[in-house]
Amino acid sequence: MIGWSLAGLEAEVDRFRLGPVDLEVEPGRSVAVLGRSGAGKTTLLRAIAGFLPARRGQVRRGSTDVTRWAPERRGLGYVPQGLGLFPNRSVARNVAYPLEIRERTDARSRTRALLERFDLTALAARRPAQLSGGEAQRVALARALAAEPELILWDEPWQGLDVEARQALSLVLHELREEERVPVIVVTHDPALAFSVADRFLILRDGAVRFASDATTLLDRPPDAFAARFVGFENVFDRDALERASGSALAAWLGAVAGPEGVAFSAPTVGPDPGTGRWTGRVRSARPTPRGVVIESFSDGFPIALRMERVAGRSIPGVGSTLRYDLDPRDIHALGGPGEAREAVA
Amino acid sequence: MTGAAGSGRRPSTRPSGWLILQAVLGGSLLALFVLPIAALFAEAPGRLGVAFRDPTVWASMSVTFYASAVCVLVAAALGIPLGYLLARRAFRGRAIVESLVAIPVVVPHLLVGFGLFLLFVPGTPLYRLSTAIGLPVYYSIAGVVLVMVFVSAPYTVLASDLAFRAVDVRTIEAARSLGADAPNAFVTVTLPIAMRGIVAGLLLTWARAVSEIGGILILAAWVYPGGFYAGPVTTTISVFVYNLFQIGDLADAAAVSSLFLLIAFALFVAVRLGERYGRLPWGRGELAP
Repeated sequence: MIGWSLAGLEAEVDRFRLGPVDLEVEPGRSVAVLGRSGAGKTTLLRAIAGFLPARRGQVRRGSTDVTRWAPERRGLGYVPQGLGLFPNRSVARNVAYPLEIRERTDARSRTRALLERFDLTALAARRPAQLSGGEAQRVALARALAAEPELILWDEPWQGLDVEARQALSLVLHELREEERVPVIVVTHDPALAFSVADRFLILRDGAVRFASDATTLLDRPPDAFAARFVGFENVFDRDALERASGSALAAWLGAVAGPEGVAFSAPTVGPDPGTGRWTGRVRSARPTPRGVVIESFSDGFPIALRMERVAGRSIPGVGSTLRYDLDPRDIHALGGPGEAREAVA
Repeated sequence: MTGAAGSGRRPSTRPSGWLILQAVLGGSLLALFVLPIAALFAEAPGRLGVAFRDPTVWASMSVTFYASAVCVLVAAALGIPLGYLLARRAFRGRAIVESLVAIPVVVPHLLVGFGLFLLFVPGTPLYRLSTAIGLPVYYSIAGVVLVMVFVSAPYTVLASDLAFRAVDVRTIEAARSLGADAPNAFVTVTLPIAMRGIVAGLLLTWARAVSEIGGILILAAWVYPGGFYAGPVTTTISVFVYNLFQIGDLADAAAVSSLFLLIAFALFVAVRLGERYGRLPWGRGELAP
């Protein structure tokens, strides 16, 4: 397998500008592309795949510049959002498509092997409309692999899948990386998928790269409110929110430690008793979850999420009750500060 | 939900007033569709056998089906690409092209025939040109086809446009990234997916073509041998029936009409059944694993 890289890649679609994007994906590595809706994630994949002409910059396969190559020459497995399965072909003929196009003599045996590998043999005669979400995903992946791609581009692989189908699919992605060493670039809204498959993260905002680094850096230094929410901080406030609550002591305290993009911190842990912390939260709702009781509180004009250990037999705090908690400045992440990571993704 | 299945209250099976109103209004329209056809068949039986054995009837049938088949081929060759262009490309003047496609639908066909008559009547440059290349239009099968294409090709263009629009661009992009170049992706993915819609448009085109009379009456009321027709002098079936009607021969007019309707209907049903049971490539059954 061969590595891929983007060097200052820029593209434009309907006046939306993407880039410049720099990125490297080595064999057996995967990159998760994150960002809000409309940030340019799908545009990036389509530019790499060759469906959007590059305005500037390069797409390189190893040391070969493929920027001006037609999509079919690039050796990619592109799985678009919605999968792009051929509705008029059976599962088997979807999977066989790349082999038919290449007039491969071993098309039949390779198709059979792929169907078997992805547990699709029993579904071979079905049409895509007759498949569940997870089955359709497996067909799309089997079809992409039939083309023996050197890079897989996958737009929202988990969309519409149940928990079990998600687990099965991330296992397949792992296998791809470990055994076939195919590099993967995956667009996702799903933190669980991103953290389970990606070595590196690329965050886009308004078409520009906001962050490009590894998981540890993303967790330690999320660049903005979107990234902070994505990695799972329960309390995320941008500058505007802090400034709007100007009379609040808590807002003033947070404002003092906030970066240009605001602040983020995990839900402070509270005990069952009101306690003696500096800040007071009035309970608006409390829900038991596998990770403890999640409490939405109103603290000094601010909605703050708190967490309480869940102990069998202990009642959860009632709505309207008050809880006291402390905030450690070391746990507060300033967003968008000078430490913002934008190293090359390797 | 409480209790076992069937023990709960069932929704009322009595038709509501709203449903009855819909049935009455819809039924009236269906009656309007069916009654004239039924009247034709009711008038026909006595003369159906005579019509069946009459060679002039078959000459007229043949020229009608022949011309309409050529019309469908021309409409497909010219209309499908235009439909694709409208569905897939953004270009300046698109709205104008869309309006032009609608012209044949809104212009009375007698006027169309008159316009074509003015263009192709003996003495005009187009008359000389069409005769010189061996494809005379005036009172010939080419004239019949020309009128038929004019009045019916928009259905091919519109149906193709809709059918191509309905093909998800992402399936085409998937095909491209899987190794198909643009023409190959069109042939292996876009066209097969759009085919059902296109065929429906071609069927409408054909139906509209065979039923045309207004334009044909003016440009080619009689079809003389010439161009790609070597049979006897005849008329299209609609003109044939019109002529019988004009001389008051209602029974024969009804018999010829019924015979034509039976054949046309049988053809239509054959195509639909072929689609349904997978004998035609754009139908369901092509996909053996």
